[in-house]
Amino acid sequence: MVDQHFRQTPRRSAEFIKPPNMLKTKVGSGGLGDEILNKAQDLLENNTVDFQPLAEMYLATLMKGIEMAKETDPDSDQELIISRMLYPGMQLKANGGMFHYPLVTRIADKLIQFLEVIEQVDVEAIEIVLAFHTTIRVVVMGRVSGDGGKHGIELMRALNEACMRYFDKYKDSDL
Amino acid sequence: MSYQFQNITVLIVEDNQPMLELAKAIMTAFGVKNVLGAKNGEEGFKKFCEHNPDIIIADWMMKPMDGISLARRIRNDHNSPNKFVPFVLMTGFSEKRRVMQARDAGVTGFLVKPFTARDLYKRLYRVIERPRQFVRSEDFFGPDRRRKSVNEYEGPQRRNTDVGPEDYYVSIEPDKENG
Repeated sequence: MVDQHFRQTPRRSAEFIKPPNMLKTKVGSGGLGDEILNKAQDLLENNTVDFQPLAEMYLATLMKGIEMAKETDPDSDQELIISRMLYPGMQLKANGGMFHYPLVTRIADKLIQFLEVIEQVDVEAIEIVLAFHTTIRVVVMGRVSGDGGKHGIELMRALNEACMRYFDKYKDSDL
Repeated sequence: MSYQFQNITVLIVEDNQPMLELAKAIMTAFGVKNVLGAKNGEEGFKKFCEHNPDIIIADWMMKPMDGISLARRIRNDHNSPNKFVPFVLMTGFSEKRRVMQARDAGVTGFLVKPFTARDLYKRLYRVIERPRQFVRSEDFFGPDRRRKSVNEYEGPQRRNTDVGPEDYYVSIEPDKENG
């Protein structure tokens, strides 16, 4: 008896609304041509924004997050501790590629992937985040725009391996 | 014939000034004449109420009010001039749980940074050509969170709770909706 399905009709009701498409009425049809899209892309690619001061600001916030993680006891809110490092990491990922530093985006993306997975911020996790911080700082201060070539690949590989070693070590836990 | 973007107003909410300027420049290159900018969600909501733009493009991480909170406020605040306005969230996050979080706040589209001009255009194209129906339930108001339309099913409707496609949408004028 207790295993049987209730077979009740859903009681939560939802109203479905199809608002008038005013936007379509205003802009009409036809989309945008390649010429306009290419012009917009050129504008984006040729922006002269200096990413360095922005990056320094986000790196400083990331370092503050690392310092706070070091000082916090293991029983405190891990989500909060992680978010203090995750958010500046996300800003570095988002803005690096917009302002000619795709390697910063790639490295920060790995950092985010790492922080989104771990559950506990232990000493080893902090060391890994610190390695990400150092690497991004080197890329920004060295004004390594583009993908960084062979050196960029090596940096990525080293960070990736550090993360994998950590995951391997804690593979039987929930991280 | 191409889109007449000069007829619309776009509000960009972004706390990173260079990024705000860049996004505004791209919209101008697309032909949008009225591009408004705001530095955070609070300022964004104020400008939204003042100008009632046709599209909102907002960053996620901002203080004192972030993009997610702005989306929720636009969808639910009784002062909101258009609760149905297309809302594109741009962010560095791309993990599934973040997308779900944005979706649950009433966001229409998700644009991952860094993006290209074509990425941004695709989001605009989608909100123009494939607008999503809205759902009002006890705990949610916003674009339908299901990506696939139920109308794609062409087989027989056998369940007691099934409704015909003509019953599925309830047309509500935005003005009536907003009181």
